[in-house]
Amino acid sequence: MRPTIRALVTAVVVVVPPVVIGITRGVGSPGFVLATLAGGIVVGELLELCPPVRAAIPLSYAVVLVLLRAASVQEFVITVAAAELVAAVLRDAPGVVVRVECLARRLVAIGAALGVYSAIASVGSSDNETVMLAALAGAGLVEFAVDEVAGEIGRWHLDLSGHGRSAQLALVTSGMLMAVGYGGLGGRGGMGLWGPALFSVPLLAAWYSFARLAVIRRTYTQTLRALSIVPELGGLVRPGHGARVADVSTEMGRELGLEPHEIEYLQAASLLHHIGHVCLDDPEVLGRPIEASEVARASAEMLRQAEFLAPAADLLSPDPLPFGGAPRSTTSTAGQVLRVASAFDELSEGGDERLARGAVEALYSGPGYVYDPRVLAALERVLERVPRVDGRVAVT
Amino acid sequence: MIRRLNLLSLTVGIVTGAAMAAVGVTAARGPAPDWVFLAVLGGLTVLASNRSVAFRDDAVFSADSMLVMASVVAFRPSGALLGPVLVGMCAGLDIAQFRERAWQKVLFNCGQYGLGALAAALVFWVAPASALSSAPWLILMALAGAVAFSVTTIVMLAVVLSLTTGERFRSVLGTLWRMHIEGLPFALLGVFLGRLYLDVGLVVVPLFVTPILVAREAFASYLALKRSHGDTVRILIGALEAKDPYTAGHAERVAMFTHYIGLELGLSAKGLERLRLAALMHDVGKLVVPNHLLNKPGRLTEEEFARVQMHEEVSVEILSRIDFLAPVAPSALSEHTRFKPVADAKGQPIEPHIVAVADAFDAMTSTRSYRKALPQAIAFLELRENAGKQFHPRVVDALIVAIERRDERYGEGHEADIHDFGVEPPDAGLGSAGLGDLLHDEVPDSSEATQS
Repeated sequence: MRPTIRALVTAVVVVVPPVVIGITRGVGSPGFVLATLAGGIVVGELLELCPPVRAAIPLSYAVVLVLLRAASVQEFVITVAAAELVAAVLRDAPGVVVRVECLARRLVAIGAALGVYSAIASVGSSDNETVMLAALAGAGLVEFAVDEVAGEIGRWHLDLSGHGRSAQLALVTSGMLMAVGYGGLGGRGGMGLWGPALFSVPLLAAWYSFARLAVIRRTYTQTLRALSIVPELGGLVRPGHGARVADVSTEMGRELGLEPHEIEYLQAASLLHHIGHVCLDDPEVLGRPIEASEVARASAEMLRQAEFLAPAADLLSPDPLPFGGAPRSTTSTAGQVLRVASAFDELSEGGDERLARGAVEALYSGPGYVYDPRVLAALERVLERVPRVDGRVAVT
Repeated sequence: MIRRLNLLSLTVGIVTGAAMAAVGVTAARGPAPDWVFLAVLGGLTVLASNRSVAFRDDAVFSADSMLVMASVVAFRPSGALLGPVLVGMCAGLDIAQFRERAWQKVLFNCGQYGLGALAAALVFWVAPASALSSAPWLILMALAGAVAFSVTTIVMLAVVLSLTTGERFRSVLGTLWRMHIEGLPFALLGVFLGRLYLDVGLVVVPLFVTPILVAREAFASYLALKRSHGDTVRILIGALEAKDPYTAGHAERVAMFTHYIGLELGLSAKGLERLRLAALMHDVGKLVVPNHLLNKPGRLTEEEFARVQMHEEVSVEILSRIDFLAPVAPSALSEHTRFKPVADAKGQPIEPHIVAVADAFDAMTSTRSYRKALPQAIAFLELRENAGKQFHPRVVDALIVAIERRDERYGEGHEADIHDFGVEPPDAGLGSAGLGDLLHDEVPDSSEATQS
């Protein structure tokens, strides 16, 4: 389905039922509320919050909390099932399998939310504020927990850390606010559908911000990757060198426990560590070959022109290590990682396992350079752990 | 000048005095507000006014005025007008101004927002209390209150701004008014937050503030990443200029001209951004051309010419690896950007033509190693003559109209940075890297190439 057609169909599917019910039975009827919230779920399924390091989460999870507050169990089940089926058809997904998988995941997560909500709400009377808030919060959290586990089944990649969970927090609190706005709390207040409609604004602001962030992130990474091939297209470096070094050094950085921002700089520096070569004069013109340290210095100088990339420039140390000397303490771990990864790629020529093993051995007993043994060990662990495809670390 | 300063001090004095009087009167005559809620709301307002994020260049995400509107509603039933006045004053507490010890500014801002909040509160005051409980009424009241708030603050601010900058009062008023209109949805949201507080108490505050803070953080990282992306593109331009000093400022000027043309042709904001990046990066392939060829004065051999020409394909290869720019990647290919009159005027994206025209115009109006800058009139003439042949006619018209409307001058005698030439460039001739400009057709013939 083309995007414009999908938007059009979605608009019709979402708007027509509430309008029809509103006209025939009146806007005060329960059917109108359910139809409107079902429309909200469909739209929410199509708008996903995309935080940088986490899987995307649909805004419909917030609308579900409102529906829990507004509907009986029977109404809830019917409304959710109908809305999710429609969303499964309209979803921008390749193939039936993915649609069904996603539908099942949503239904399981929302079903779990219904269970938790009913269980907590049954503890006290419906007028008890604390019980109501706990029930809503519990339902919201369970939705994410189940969704996350279901999404990672068979992949064993579950990241239980708190990192990058702000989007989920925003979604749960927004959903609670919308639910409280709908039905009030402790028997007081409640503005009906006006509540969720208005209080979805902070959530939509979050959605917009994350969407912009995702786009610029992609463009930025792709720009770095595109620039990394400039020296390759100029015939100065073996094709794919920058990307391979970036992949290996990123994995090594993770292995050595570097901070996320350090890994980001390491990645940028790896991609662009030969970029300075393009500014140097031809060896024919110079009448002598170009030294590796010149390239490093030129690259660092270029990166330093950008305020943001200055820390990445510091990783490109132009001075070769002294013959047989101890690794310099002034070189940061990230700088060592970059140097090892680059030397490894040059020695292994991006080749198969045999070449890789030979390269590691050469690095250990290298004649000219001495590398930090800790960093070399990290390289070995990365090579063992990560399958290599066509000489490249297959990055997940 | 002295009269201006006196007037300014007088205005600040009046505003501060009026705000003080408002605090005094509301404190003495009205009931006391709920201090806990006042402290929470006041603290959040200070936070919001000090950590605002520009959602667009001209519109500020005004969380502080939203909180002021919330206080107006929340204190309405108790009748404590002092509440909104104090919360309003919190919106004027800018920590940066404290650090600068710009006391006059702090006093004025506090007074201004305090009085604005009072004006909004009075709107709610005169309306019956029952109006608070129906949503449509509340929306109406929110609009009226927001207008009262905006009008009060804007008039005071416009007086001070026109006194300090010397701009006309009415134009300042107009600019401020447009900024406030954009903030109206947030005022509405604030009113409903206040209403929800009345119903269910303080618990709504964290539920409301958390998603806004998350949105703010995400937007701040978006802005930071956008800056670093800009930095990366600037690195590349810096490298190009280091290789070929004659092209200093070329990429930025081409970006500017494409922006002119894009505005003229009514491109969307996204289209303009795409165009800007494509213009900045259109010469990226020149990075692979050896320095000595780029700067060679005089003619290139055929082999050298081919080597230089290769840069276009490299540019396309690089641009097409960036999804956002892939649609405009052909911009870098001079063959592709040649205008083909009949065949495919439809369906062919116009962006590559825009970059081609802007590139040619800047190449003609700036000095290169192979030729001095041409006068603007000649450049226009050249573009017009080749419109429909080499260049897209609509694009050529758009550029000329845009430059003439702005009454700007480029070319001979109007160059921004005059180069310090070791060797004076020839007046005209074929040289190295200005490929894509008007000398396009003069591919060196082999007889001359072998001679040189």
